[in-house]
Amino acid sequence: MTNPSSASSARADSRAGSRSTSQRGTHSGVRLDPRAKLYLLLLANLLLFFHVDTRGEAIMVALFLLPLFVAGRWRNGLRLAVLYFALLGLGLWSDAATMSGSGGSGGSLIGMIGGGVTDTAAGSSGTTVAAEDVAATAASATDAFVTAGHVAGLLSVGIRMMMPCLITGAYAFTTTSISEFVCAMRRMRVPEAIVIPCMVVIRFFPTIVHDYRQIRNAMALRGIAAGRFALVRHPVQSLEFIIVPLLMNATFVSRDLSVAALTKGLGIAGEHTCMTVIRMCWFDWAYMAVCTAPLALAIGGVL
Amino acid sequence: MSFRPSEASGEILSRAASSPSAPIVLISDTSFRYAHDDAGAGPDNPSADSAAPAPTGTAPSTPESAAPSELALSHVNLTIRPGETVMLCGQSGCGKTTVTRLVNGLIPNFFHGSLAGSQSVCGLTNGTPAGSGSPVSPGDADSAACTAPVPIEALVPLVGSVFQNPKTQYFNADTTSELAFPCENVGMEPATIRARVNDVAQRFNIGHLLDRSVFKLSGGEKQRLAVAAATMLNPRVIVMDEPTSNLDATAMRDLHDMVAALKRDGVTVVIAEHRLAWCADLVDRYVLFENGAVAGEYTTAEFSALPPQQLESWGLRALDLAPYRAALRKKTGATGVTPAGVTQSGATSSAEPSGAAPSAKSLDASTASSTGPVIDSASRHSSAPETTHHSSNINDVPIIATRDLVVGYQRAFRRGVTDLALRGGDIVGLMGRNGAGKSTLVRTLCGLQRPLGGQVLLHGKPAKPAALTRAGFLVMQDVNYQLFADSAREELLLGLGDAGDAIRQPVEVTVAPSNAVRSSSSSATPLGVSVRGGIIGASSSATPHLHPATLGEQADRVLESLDLLPFAERHPMSLSGGQKQRLAIASAIMCGKGLIVLDEPTSGLDRAHMMQVGTLLRGLADQGKAVLVVTHDEELAALWCDRIIDLDGNAPATNKENS
Amino acid sequence: MTQQPTAAPSPAPAAPQPTSAAKPGRLAIPDLISIGIFTALYFVCVCVATLVSTLIAGAGTIFLPAVAALICGPVFMLSVARVGKFGGITVMGVVIGLFLFVSGHFALSFVASIVFPLAGDLIARIGNYKNRVTILIGYVVFCYGLTGPILPLWFMKDAYVASLEARGKSADYINTLFSQISVGSFFVAMAAILVCGLIGGWFGQRILKKHFVKAGIA
Repeated sequence: MTNPSSASSARADSRAGSRSTSQRGTHSGVRLDPRAKLYLLLLANLLLFFHVDTRGEAIMVALFLLPLFVAGRWRNGLRLAVLYFALLGLGLWSDAATMSGSGGSGGSLIGMIGGGVTDTAAGSSGTTVAAEDVAATAASATDAFVTAGHVAGLLSVGIRMMMPCLITGAYAFTTTSISEFVCAMRRMRVPEAIVIPCMVVIRFFPTIVHDYRQIRNAMALRGIAAGRFALVRHPVQSLEFIIVPLLMNATFVSRDLSVAALTKGLGIAGEHTCMTVIRMCWFDWAYMAVCTAPLALAIGGVL
Repeated sequence: MSFRPSEASGEILSRAASSPSAPIVLISDTSFRYAHDDAGAGPDNPSADSAAPAPTGTAPSTPESAAPSELALSHVNLTIRPGETVMLCGQSGCGKTTVTRLVNGLIPNFFHGSLAGSQSVCGLTNGTPAGSGSPVSPGDADSAACTAPVPIEALVPLVGSVFQNPKTQYFNADTTSELAFPCENVGMEPATIRARVNDVAQRFNIGHLLDRSVFKLSGGEKQRLAVAAATMLNPRVIVMDEPTSNLDATAMRDLHDMVAALKRDGVTVVIAEHRLAWCADLVDRYVLFENGAVAGEYTTAEFSALPPQQLESWGLRALDLAPYRAALRKKTGATGVTPAGVTQSGATSSAEPSGAAPSAKSLDASTASSTGPVIDSASRHSSAPETTHHSSNINDVPIIATRDLVVGYQRAFRRGVTDLALRGGDIVGLMGRNGAGKSTLVRTLCGLQRPLGGQVLLHGKPAKPAALTRAGFLVMQDVNYQLFADSAREELLLGLGDAGDAIRQPVEVTVAPSNAVRSSSSSATPLGVSVRGGIIGASSSATPHLHPATLGEQADRVLESLDLLPFAERHPMSLSGGQKQRLAIASAIMCGKGLIVLDEPTSGLDRAHMMQVGTLLRGLADQGKAVLVVTHDEELAALWCDRIIDLDGNAPATNKENS
Repeated sequence: MTQQPTAAPSPAPAAPQPTSAAKPGRLAIPDLISIGIFTALYFVCVCVATLVSTLIAGAGTIFLPAVAALICGPVFMLSVARVGKFGGITVMGVVIGLFLFVSGHFALSFVASIVFPLAGDLIARIGNYKNRVTILIGYVVFCYGLTGPILPLWFMKDAYVASLEARGKSADYINTLFSQISVGSFFVAMAAILVCGLIGGWFGQRILKKHFVKAGIA
């Protein structure tokens, strides 16, 4: 209705394009479409659902970590990678511990490490089991050691299972801008009744942090629940003093936000567009396929 | 049902084109009363209303509060022609905000109530058309009103809105999305939206604000962005509801330039304000509201010819700030260290310009000095200030002083502050542009933050942050964070006594307050507040372990001295903005604090309420408190502060030279 | 061309309309914004609960929903009082589930956070969002929506059992190892949610009455 002349709009568009690419440049690298990210999340959940063996899991984790590095999130990616492989190592150790036990501790420790090494080196479960069985017959386990091994094993297996989800979640969270997220939801025909609260949630988080700080300052000035342990000593009263002003402010903000949103046309019926354009390109499809294949093979037991 | 704004605006444009000089906003014989059960109209306009019991426009939140049937607007007629810049002015609660809500369609779409009369904006008409002859009285408003109210969605592309609070008028977390938001809602193509964003950014010179988090912007930048966002759909009318209430002088200058640009482009601008000076050269017409009715319309020439006293009596802020600025310059620079005999080569910077005199035309002080208001804080001291003043600080040791203080955050920000000293009985204004470190300094003085260097002296001795927190009190700009209890009286008793037992005990209110207090409160001024001596003795002896009943008596006395006793049982959040502010101050008095810092206590207040805050400050100072006011409000600073510390002209370099 | 149809562009998820004349039972834009804000607060409470439950009980994240139920009462009660329409509680749960899912939680948590809030919503609707008892029951049911994030704990166990079995451990060995952990902890956790939900909901209603009703906000 109020289109500027096409020439100027095209020029401005190109300018906008250059700006948005430069903005993207700060994140650097190629990023997947939000919907592709969502697909990866689903794959990660499937991985959790069907118990895939360690090797398949490791391959999938590597595949999930790759986009993080490509997107330039080096530190984040490295941290997750290190965590995963540490857990993997712990799991292998606990396998060895629970299987072999510790009769003559020195020898069995070597056996365990040896078992671990063969495991990682050979990478085929068959040989590992064989090696461990040998170790297990060698010595009977002392209870404490075995229990520790089980706890470690349970933890490592448990957290390791969560890792694919956490990695893809971290990827989705750190590399998706809010507008992309909203745009993806609208493209996927998520009803506005869900989209709007999601926008508000993201908008309101920083406000909560700010409010909380203000409230804590005000409490300190009044000498209410001051000091480090006051929150622990009077939990109910502290909760009341913190949550009541938070909620009061929330109601005021909700009114102001409603006013702002209504005057800016959030209530207008019909399709709402998004300035940010998201597009599934060949890369997204290719990567989705690359990730699906090993999972399918692993679930199918082929791998 | 399937309403598309683009179609509607096309239709409207054609309708408007048929009669080019037709009024763009036509409000005739309109009355409105807010519905009280409507949550949307709840504790409305938080900063604007004050001691007056439930001003109009503020729906009283509890049934027992006064005047539930008051009209927000009664029989208002207002015509605005295309391209005009109109200023709606008047005291808080006079109905000007309600008019802006009529224009942008929030009434009757969001704020519900009984609406009578007809309102037509850009050709979209609400209610019975003008001249249909049905006399509308507020009584039969319900039946007469709006068979088919114009949906607010229809007005979106026609009317842009800017609101008072820069913090809460954003729906998005980053600036570019906020600009794109209206366009996305009407369903524009992405490329068009991007082009529009760039155009607007260029037009208002805010390119540097794009692609940033709105939470990282200063108040002034937020407000500029809000204006830009309001123009995204090229509306024909822009409505601003007290846009400057949280802004400093520079930001107001920026806002002025934006309004000027809009005016050049032929956009109709409607501003509801009581700060008049910032856009005096742009306004074509002033409409004065009083008690929900139009009390007069003035052209710019007529309005500027009015004597300042006339504006004061209407509760308006000054049209010309020059005399205030002159007074401010006189007060600036006295650091307060000299009288104490600490090393200080004198108040050298008093001759410096305060740096807040942007408009050359407003410097014409000759006319103002003849008719100008009395700007001398000494003349506003209460009747016998000198005695109390001096008796309260006998040993003349400042309550709070600083030595080589450096404030800031670890990495982000750091600045030195010239040594300052705050004494009991002083009202000191702390001014400076946004980002000068005012709030950081204040937080350091209150012990909420560690100084990066130097010391803060409490009664002459270096003090740790924890001790400062016990001695000082900060009345935040948003007092809502500071009120915790479920009644005003409980609020004062909270935290006193040991833990919860004293709080829980019902307090017997069999108090016989001292005669002085009784007389002062009964002779309460029209301005409402009068703080006199009489509490000092009690409050300064407030030890945390008094008997509950004694504490209760004392709480009642403090409440009474601040005119809050009638509201003792009310929930703090059901009070008006001014009452909340006073309640926070009352809690500080109750804790026996020596230093009271107020952060922007007059933002968004009209003149009467500003003067009320001033009286309150004076009263606190006369009780022997040291009062520090962080403010952009030049009128407050000039009228009520004894000294001004200007952080703009207070650089670390001078700090070193002095010492 | 009234406000109602334009204001709610899409119907609330599974929202049949019990339209009363006074309050159209359909979520309008201001309602959705309120829900969003309360959801944000609720989410923060859940984060706090996660922190508390890991700090206090060590690996006892199984008590996460219980701790959350304990502290989220005021938020829930105020949101019901402010919105008071069918769909509000459901949307709250769905949005929480969405955020949990996107931040890498188990997909089943998403299902739980739709089913239980929807049930809670239906229960609260019986009392027309006014009756304290139905709202309280609704809250308790709603709290079970957070069991999603802790369900993988049982999956983890299964995975570990599977890995033990793969290595030829006898079923007896495995059963003795997990006899206490599985069934007992599950029921304890579920019972804890019930108790904590009742306490938290009661606390929330008390706060609502003490502050928000008195201040005229709820």
